[in-house]
Amino acid sequence: MAEFAVVEPGSVAEVLDLLARYGEEAKLVAGGTWVTLVLRQGLLWPSLLVSLRRVSELAGIAVDEAGNLRLGAMARLRSVETLPLVRERLPVVAETCRQVANVRVRHQATVGGNLCDADYASDPPALLAALGARVVAVSQRGRREIAARDFIVGHYQTVLEPDELVTEVVVPALPPEVGAVYLKYRTRSHEDRPCLGVAAVVVPDRDGRLARAEVVVGAVAERPQRLPEVLEGVAGRALDDATIAEIAERYAAGIEPLSDLRGSAWYRTEMIRVFVERALRVARQRARWEGGRS
Amino acid sequence: MIDAVERVTGRIRFSQDASLPGMLHAAAVRSVVPHGRIARIDTAAALEVPGVVAVVTGEDLRRLPGLRPVYGPQIEDQPVVALDCVRYVGDIVALVAAETLQAAQEAAALVAVECEELPAVFDPLEALEPSAPLLHELEPERPHEGTALYFGIRPQFGTNCCNLFRIRRGDVARGFAEADLVIEETFRTPAIQHVAMEPHAALALWEDGRLTVWSGTQTPFNTRQILAEIFGLPVERVRVIVPPMGGSYGCKVFPRIEPQAALLAYVTGRPVKFVLRRDEEFVTLTRHATVVTIRLGLTRDGRITAKEVRAYWNTGAYADCGPDVARKGGFGIVGPYRIPHVAVDSRCVYTNLPPAGAFRGYAVTQAAWASESMMDIAADALGLDPLEFRLRNLLRDGETFATGETLHDVHFAECLERAAAAIGWEGPWRHELGDGRVRAKGLAVVLKGMTTPSRSEAKVGIDRSGRVTVYSSTVELGQGARTVLAQLAAEALGVPYQEIRVVDPDTARTPFDNRTTSSRSTYMMGNAVRQAALALRERLLRIAAERLEVEQADLELMDGSVRVAGAPASALKFGELVEASRQEALVEHGEFRNQGGLDPDTGQGIASSHWHQGAGAVEVEVDTRTGKVTILHAHASVYAGQVVNRHTAELQNLGNIVFGLGSALFEELVYEQGQLVNPNLSDYLIPSFLDLPERMTHDLVERPGAEIHGLGETALPTIPAAVGNAVARAIGARVTELPLTPERVLRAIRARGGERG
Repeated sequence: MAEFAVVEPGSVAEVLDLLARYGEEAKLVAGGTWVTLVLRQGLLWPSLLVSLRRVSELAGIAVDEAGNLRLGAMARLRSVETLPLVRERLPVVAETCRQVANVRVRHQATVGGNLCDADYASDPPALLAALGARVVAVSQRGRREIAARDFIVGHYQTVLEPDELVTEVVVPALPPEVGAVYLKYRTRSHEDRPCLGVAAVVVPDRDGRLARAEVVVGAVAERPQRLPEVLEGVAGRALDDATIAEIAERYAAGIEPLSDLRGSAWYRTEMIRVFVERALRVARQRARWEGGRS
Repeated sequence: MIDAVERVTGRIRFSQDASLPGMLHAAAVRSVVPHGRIARIDTAAALEVPGVVAVVTGEDLRRLPGLRPVYGPQIEDQPVVALDCVRYVGDIVALVAAETLQAAQEAAALVAVECEELPAVFDPLEALEPSAPLLHELEPERPHEGTALYFGIRPQFGTNCCNLFRIRRGDVARGFAEADLVIEETFRTPAIQHVAMEPHAALALWEDGRLTVWSGTQTPFNTRQILAEIFGLPVERVRVIVPPMGGSYGCKVFPRIEPQAALLAYVTGRPVKFVLRRDEEFVTLTRHATVVTIRLGLTRDGRITAKEVRAYWNTGAYADCGPDVARKGGFGIVGPYRIPHVAVDSRCVYTNLPPAGAFRGYAVTQAAWASESMMDIAADALGLDPLEFRLRNLLRDGETFATGETLHDVHFAECLERAAAAIGWEGPWRHELGDGRVRAKGLAVVLKGMTTPSRSEAKVGIDRSGRVTVYSSTVELGQGARTVLAQLAAEALGVPYQEIRVVDPDTARTPFDNRTTSSRSTYMMGNAVRQAALALRERLLRIAAERLEVEQADLELMDGSVRVAGAPASALKFGELVEASRQEALVEHGEFRNQGGLDPDTGQGIASSHWHQGAGAVEVEVDTRTGKVTILHAHASVYAGQVVNRHTAELQNLGNIVFGLGSALFEELVYEQGQLVNPNLSDYLIPSFLDLPERMTHDLVERPGAEIHGLGETALPTIPAAVGNAVARAIGARVTELPLTPERVLRAIRARGGERG
């Protein structure tokens, strides 16, 4: 393992100061579940580890006046999973966090850490992208909000600059008529990372047609996959089985998956078709869609 | 368990907790190429790391006088440190000893190794091609036989086959001619790893030309013998002490890191501790990957006329106990059936992969995967109920196995019928739930031999305080051996077993035992302990009879004392009896042996002095759109003879089911050009609690007056085969390769022309 110093700043201001001074030499540690792995494998050689565990202002979970769910970057996945506030307001967020790894990891892993690892084989990023969440990043240069769907750009790569710190993730309130789901599919142990995960959000209009559909497929490529041309093409249509099958077919055809130990590219393509369909059916059911089936 | 409190309070001292003042830490430099000739090793930079005391290479090893640089339990093919060649990715090229573990590891990373790469081979069938690179040059004149070899070994000289075990019984050509139907299929299993919670750990100390090693090993006496040979010492000058282990499952059978720790201690003159990292565990020992082809001759009325088997056991770069795995698998693969004509060729084959060796289930998991899958294929081909087909052919008491031995105390049919009943076999074997979900049931039955011949000795003593001590070299690896041995001694002596002390194996203090393997300890060592305890009982009765001036027959043992039956006032405490005998302690010795052996060219003889017998049954649900298999109910029925400790026996059955489902569904070591792709527990998954079947049930089949039958492994091999049979029934197609990943199952469904989208 590399030789490094560890510091434990107590405030966001101190963290930003360290990041401004050390840049890429410093590595932030939130829950440490990912950093520990890559340090052990010798994939990371920082000279400074900046622990965020004493930065208490990052740990909050709250709903703001506009009804947005604000998840502090240091909120543990286990807290998101169990907090009644989250379960009432956005049950799909709690549900998704409950699917991650195992309970021991979830007690440690954090919302911000999970996004910043940008590991392709992960659950929350696809859901946050589908929900239209925004990632708040700050530096001494200022503050910006990044759409969750644009945040991860490649294998272990995000749009963050070396001096930026993610402070929170803002998940917008969903209209009451929404149906949202995240389906995780594991091919090995229950504690495995996803072979793929599908987040689906559907909103009906007054006539029972599709006002809006979001489908994001995680863990099949270097970043969560969303096909805007497919989603735009189905707006205004009835959410019947034919539409669902068409979306599933076009996602299967439109994504070029990778191969790993959890499934080959061929298998993933097959599973994208199956799970996009299944996710949309569950979402439709959750939206208590009237007259959708045909 | 007698050590339960120590375990849950963290006070138990495991192998990796061993330490000595002034000890150094070891790290290994490992090959990054699968096969190569070592051109140059530069240790200069490593030696400059502060705290580094020594860096030892093969050249150093060769220069040390009086040392034998190559060892191996059955074939002496493994250098302590690579001499000229490296033979797999992970082979030890150099060893470092340093004041701290960090310094040792840092220095190891700085050792520069230059290799001329040689052609490498990874598949056992390719390794037997005439053009394949040879890993070792075994020669008839130089048989390289290891001291732990207890059977005739038949290397095929000039090839990569390091043992060919054969069974020839009857005449298979005639058997096939008599058949109405002949079927053939090939089955495969991958390499997997044991993933014991505690890694390999050893600490070596040299004092006045004597070597002491504390090591987590299932084989203290084999390890002592091999260390003595490496260092040219009489065995009395090597001492192996075995603290309790945090699991092993076969990965700590035979020396694996002890020679390396001892070499560094020898060179530095300091105690040296060597503990493997998890990624090193993955390249240190695996379960044999296999390719097995079976041909079966059948009559229309459901009899088996002939069975021909070609089995290939991929033993990796060093034989370890692979030759014996091929042998035990060679007869295990015949299955517990009455077959008049049998021919088996079972080959143990070198390849450029990490060594394979003992693994819980010892060859029978791979054997049963092939032979029990084949039994279902046969039943389907004949249009018979797989249970009925098996029952027609299962061996019964007094019948003859393919090795020519007569079997006694036979319970295969009973185990199988119980397992079948437990999952409701009479109901439909398959039904569709709609939405592409199908449920189906499957069965398997296995026989497993126990090491034959072998020997266990024990001593049981009582000191002046009345304390009973059991001296046994059976190692505690979490299976509860200490508890069971204490119970058996307690029964004979009339004391609560919780008060008995069981000494950790120590070759200088505890008597000889073959090894803690093969589910043999409760039976073999149990009998030795019982014998010693009964002799001690006799002696106590004799002394008490003299003191009390009564007949021995009028005495009884109760609560640590001897008394006239029904007269508590007459009680003489054990301690008083010891004192009366004017000894510090009274100690008695017990010994138990089993006898037999097989002719390696015909496989005829006694394979096992008694047989481990078990059956498994499962119900699965298959999602035919994804290929995902869920085990709803798994049941194991195992013949126990007589149960000694019900709780630990039950845990063995349940543990075997869990182990089996990992093998069945997802465990697999994946190599790319000999490089292991998943050497960590994030990429290599073992079952978690959430993977357990909704229902796990089991039973222990007992018979009054029967011998104890070990059951640490019996249920495991039944599970993958039963799951495979259930999945085949569900999808109407056969997956012939483990594990049954969703992708393999879906491909089988598609190949059959089923389910799409």
